[in-house]
Amino acid sequence: MVLSFVSAFLLIIIVGLPVAAIAAYAVFPHFNTLSFAEPFAKIWPSLNDPRLVGATLQALALSASVTLGTVLLATPFGYLRARITTIDGKIWDALFLIPFLIPPYVGSLAWMQVLQRNGFLEQLLGFNLEKFLFSFAGLTTVMTLHLFPLVYFSSSRAFAMIGSRYGDVAKVFGGRSLSIFARIELPLALPAIFSSALIVFVLTIEEFGTPEILGRRFGFEVIVTAIHDKFTNWPIDLSGASVLCLILIGVAFVAFQLHTRMAARFNISVETSAQPMSSGQASNGHRLIVWATFASLAIVSVMGPVASITISAFMITISGGVTWENMGFRNFAEIFSTGSDAFQAIGTSLTLAALAAILTGLMALIIAFSVVRLQSRGTAFLDFLSILPNAIPGMAVAVGLILTWNLPFWPVTPYNTVGILLMAYLCLMLPYPIRMVTVALRQLPTSLDDAAYISGANEWIVIKNILAPILLPVSLAAGFIVFAVSTRELVSSLMLAPPGVETVATFVFRQFDQGSINVAMAMSLLVVLVSGSIIALGQKMQGSHKP
Amino acid sequence: MKKLLVALATGLTFCVSAQAAEPLIVYSAGPKPLSSALAKGFEAETGIAVELFQSSAGKIMARYQSEKANPHADMMISAAWSHAITLDAADELLAYTSPNAKKVPSALKTKTYVAQGAAALAIAYNTKSGLPLPHKWADLAKAAYQDQVTMPDPSSSGSALSLLQGLVTKDQKSTWAMFADLKSNGIIVPGANKAALTPVLQGSRGVVFGAVDYIVFGSKAKGESIDVIYPTDGTVLAPRPIMIMKSTPHAAAAKAFVDYILSDKGQALVASRFLLPARTDIKAKRPGYNDLSIIEFDQLKAAHSATATKQKFAKLMAQ
Repeated sequence: MVLSFVSAFLLIIIVGLPVAAIAAYAVFPHFNTLSFAEPFAKIWPSLNDPRLVGATLQALALSASVTLGTVLLATPFGYLRARITTIDGKIWDALFLIPFLIPPYVGSLAWMQVLQRNGFLEQLLGFNLEKFLFSFAGLTTVMTLHLFPLVYFSSSRAFAMIGSRYGDVAKVFGGRSLSIFARIELPLALPAIFSSALIVFVLTIEEFGTPEILGRRFGFEVIVTAIHDKFTNWPIDLSGASVLCLILIGVAFVAFQLHTRMAARFNISVETSAQPMSSGQASNGHRLIVWATFASLAIVSVMGPVASITISAFMITISGGVTWENMGFRNFAEIFSTGSDAFQAIGTSLTLAALAAILTGLMALIIAFSVVRLQSRGTAFLDFLSILPNAIPGMAVAVGLILTWNLPFWPVTPYNTVGILLMAYLCLMLPYPIRMVTVALRQLPTSLDDAAYISGANEWIVIKNILAPILLPVSLAAGFIVFAVSTRELVSSLMLAPPGVETVATFVFRQFDQGSINVAMAMSLLVVLVSGSIIALGQKMQGSHKP
Repeated sequence: MKKLLVALATGLTFCVSAQAAEPLIVYSAGPKPLSSALAKGFEAETGIAVELFQSSAGKIMARYQSEKANPHADMMISAAWSHAITLDAADELLAYTSPNAKKVPSALKTKTYVAQGAAALAIAYNTKSGLPLPHKWADLAKAAYQDQVTMPDPSSSGSALSLLQGLVTKDQKSTWAMFADLKSNGIIVPGANKAALTPVLQGSRGVVFGAVDYIVFGSKAKGESIDVIYPTDGTVLAPRPIMIMKSTPHAAAAKAFVDYILSDKGQALVASRFLLPARTDIKAKRPGYNDLSIIEFDQLKAAHSATATKQKFAKLMAQ
């Protein structure tokens, strides 16, 4: 029972307190001064906004279509990934992590540079897609291309865990490939797909950058736009913004319930030590087709934004356009002319990201174990609590963290130190590994655990010696996602960085703020390269450690 | 587990080291090189260390509000005059009149806050766009500028709101008629100041209605094909308020910092970023007080009807 207690404690400290602080702020408009006066005074005035109904419906429509889009796009690729050779697969895995390294805000600007009137596309090929980009379809496409890797990674891991054994049995009995996929492999992988789809859904509901940049151009408002208005536009109304966050928490709750029901229908554990899906019988022609399919997705989703960022990073002036004379290293020179700022920013971000990846990975193991295996009272609540940071805007999480850790009575507090950024990243990133590890653990049969318990092991030993090694690939995959997302976390860094501390995001933001888009793009490119190489290196090491 | 302990230990070290010194804590919006230079100059002159939290105007306000149970900021330098009006109305600002503020125009100072400098709202245009040069705000509603104009959104940009308020105060009827014409001429309102300027720099659109001039001058100095025109029918200033928080335990140091910002040296640093210095006797590196025809209006009065003005604008643009 110690473990359940540890999990509950971790989740409550890291996630529960800031979320509770936001809820308290929604109810008590003067909670920021620790006063409980005028309770409920803000609730009705904040909700009584005629724009809100439309914004909520549009947010739901957007999230639903992005979720559907990512699942339809990523599942076939996840399936193929589990069937191709490890070496090929690693290349695609590494490439598909890149969209995570690009902040959605920068990614949307990159797409805008390419597709808008007189954009890169028009300068090079003579036509533009501005009408498409600034439409519901365009917005959905950009967000889908950014988020599909989440579903891709968890479905490919799930298909790999299922292995080919079930398929082989079906084949012996005359099953056709398509029906084996539809009736055996897909249902087995569904819990993992649903679970990542849930993250995509809440991330889309919470996303601010892309709807702000692309949606505004065609008058498309979502809930987060309204929340953000209250957070940053005069007159600032933090309590009112907290009230609107409650809507998002409600939406996340409904989505979570729906997900639990759907996942429960397909909750089957598979035998461990599955045969890897073989690629042995695949012909060269088959391999080429698979390769071309992956390449075309990579070109659109990865090369598109990266090429755009690269071009603008090398453009000497923004207004100079895409010409050879306008290319040079001035933006990079400018980054490093800021003295040690840029290095400090990269160093801080990478350190925090690595710490966040390791710590969330460890915590996810413990929490997933309590939720899935111990199933003590309150685990469903813990499970729900763990997705909340993804459902509320980063700005709200930041306010919640300040409200929590700035209280005068803590003897020690991470606030106003770099420690608060780590707390923020842990809070924001925990959902990824928890989702991924929980699902993987659900699919593991308990036979190994039971064998260990009979031999006298306790829970720690079961986790350390049995589950952790089996779950290592999933934890690592989650760790890389956490690392990637943390290196470019924007909103909470801008709110929480202690005076004098720079992260990559604050550095990039500052350049945008002063109109130096190309310097910001150059810095983004550097970070994609640096953290991308770290991830590639990590994946390579992971490969060589395999028995 | 070992890693966890190491991380926790690192976290604790951070906590302890932060409590060692007692510097002046300043929350600042706007160009970081300017705030850093001011902080360094002040430190060199007085020996008082300054710690900067640099972010956007909205975020420094949000952080200040969230911290109220245990305040940290001694001073704030915002990009939005309206933030100072709000905080002053809530009685959260310390009254101080710097001896160096004598040459600051009366519109840019009150008992509790004073401008560091100001930006003016102007028309910015891409010099490669081949468009005719506009002279008045209303020119941008002409056919020549169809689908070429962007404007920062008054609901996310404090300076755009000031411009709107100024124009409405000057001539309500013709201003709203002009915005209706601009709308039918294909104006886009893509977000805050940068979002409006970026498409013009990139050549996707040609002109910004209500650009923050010092940022455009900065881009121009870097070689961008962009320039500023001040419409002959007048423009509006967006001053940047310096505020001392009532909660500060370092009032003397804070007052000294205000004095420094308004000193010859401090104002020269402000001017070097192409901002209009608060003091009229300091030479600007851009059109100064005598070159601009400024629409004067009562900011306090305008603040009362700000919500209605913003809503009216949003409604017009949504049609």
